[in-house]
Amino acid sequence: MATVTRAPFRGLVAFSLTELRVQLHESTSIVTSMIVQVVLLVFVAILARDLLPVALFGAILFSMFALGQRVQNEAAFVRIDHKLNELYLAGPLAPEAYFFGMSLGVLGAYLAPIGILVLITYAIAGISLTTAVVLLATATGVWLFASSFGYFVSSLFRDMRTIWPYASIFYSMFGVLPPVFYPLGYWPAPLVPVALALPPSAAAALVQSTIGWATLTPWEVAFAATALVLEGLGTFVFAIYWSRRTVREDA
Amino acid sequence: MTAEALLARDVRKTYTARRAPSVEALAGVSLVVHPGERVALLGRNGAGKTTFLKIASTLLAPTAGTVEVFGHDAGGHPDEVRPMIAVVPQEGKPFFHLTPREQVYTYLRARGFAREEAKSRTEDSLGQMGLLEVANRLSITLSGGQRQRTMVATVIATEAPLLFLDEPTIGMDPFARRAVWESLRTLTRRGSTILLTTHYLDEAEALSQRLYIIERGRVLVDGTAATLKQEIGGSLRVSIPGGGRLTETVQTFGSVLVDGGTLHVITSPERLPELMALAVREHLSATVGPVTLEEAFLKVVGRSIDTEE
Repeated sequence: MATVTRAPFRGLVAFSLTELRVQLHESTSIVTSMIVQVVLLVFVAILARDLLPVALFGAILFSMFALGQRVQNEAAFVRIDHKLNELYLAGPLAPEAYFFGMSLGVLGAYLAPIGILVLITYAIAGISLTTAVVLLATATGVWLFASSFGYFVSSLFRDMRTIWPYASIFYSMFGVLPPVFYPLGYWPAPLVPVALALPPSAAAALVQSTIGWATLTPWEVAFAATALVLEGLGTFVFAIYWSRRTVREDA
Repeated sequence: MTAEALLARDVRKTYTARRAPSVEALAGVSLVVHPGERVALLGRNGAGKTTFLKIASTLLAPTAGTVEVFGHDAGGHPDEVRPMIAVVPQEGKPFFHLTPREQVYTYLRARGFAREEAKSRTEDSLGQMGLLEVANRLSITLSGGQRQRTMVATVIATEAPLLFLDEPTIGMDPFARRAVWESLRTLTRRGSTILLTTHYLDEAEALSQRLYIIERGRVLVDGTAATLKQEIGGSLRVSIPGGGRLTETVQTFGSVLVDGGTLHVITSPERLPELMALAVREHLSATVGPVTLEEAFLKVVGRSIDTEE
């Protein structure tokens, strides 16, 4: 029999569409994915209405970050409970297409509520062209980081119940506690480098800087942007490596 | 195609964990599956069937030994092997939020089938598995048996050169099991090769052209169901619950097996009246039936296939 080898990312589009279908059938989850953001926005609107523009942009970035949690849970569930990784990976589908296709499928399904959030932000706070470009770039970086990190974390557990508490910790520590929903200026000054190093708050700082809610030195802008690019691309490349390595369950 | 569909040589697998003793799951398994064959791995839970299947399907690395699939090294070059295989995982489930039709179709698309080909194969496969009536219902609403049939439909639709099926009919009703058997027979007629694991003796007997009995990570015997049954000597099985005390007495009647508290005697029709009379004298009940693969398994392994490790 002739040798047939797998091309990198073979089956990516088809598996992305598979995952998109899976997610679209779970419309309730898509709607409820916005609950945290909406609740925080309501709090901000009541307690500090002038901060609403910052919180709205933060909600968009947080939503992109939360997609990583969705990838984490999905990847773990289909592996632990359904054993579908065995079905798909013992075949021609490339492992990196399995990982990235899952991430793209989740992104596609959740674009609608995030799009609505963008429209609300546009209506309330306005979005200039510069802000739109910065928002798009930083949101992409946050999504790439979160999805890759989520896939990696999903592979570390053998039981769904042990994943949930860690998921809450990761996403609170990365996404809620740092200055994503509120201005960077409210964050303790000695810890600013930490905020600029964490992907969601680095993205938020860059956006806040663009809309005039944070004053960053050129060095801080460069630091936050570099951290976001390196973390996004770095975790993505690592997740590709990890997806290939973990096809074998004891690798 | 000249190479064997599957050729395993002295495959060993030891699981090691930090805070637990090592477990030797495979202790040197060698077997061969010829192209176009249906072969069953028969064994009790924990015998090593699934571990072997995972190694052969590139999902697990062996500790030692080699597995070749159509001449390609499954351990060293898994990417060359994966396009040629398809796997029904043990206890696998379809995506809960896909319908059976979507599950099969999207899987075929992910394997690289063109749209029309994927559609045609999907309908054919769903039809074979009797799933057309529920083809548009989300899998989360289906019964366990229907979900399992969806998994089998997904894999048989590929008609991959080598199919691995790990307990493919678990949870299915008798009609569905027979439908699966017929589909698998059709697949091998079309040129696919099948290696399945099962602990259903009737399934192994009805479906496989050859079988390997595995126990504690070792192949104890291989052959056809017919040859295995012939080798145990006798055509009738007399089972005497609580007959352990007669073990010595009945040795002259044929092969004697003790499973739990039940004495099984493999004997000939000529000796049957004498043996039944003995049981009656001892105030014991006895049942008589034709020798099946169950007795062959019991004789080879020393325990019933349903006995847990």
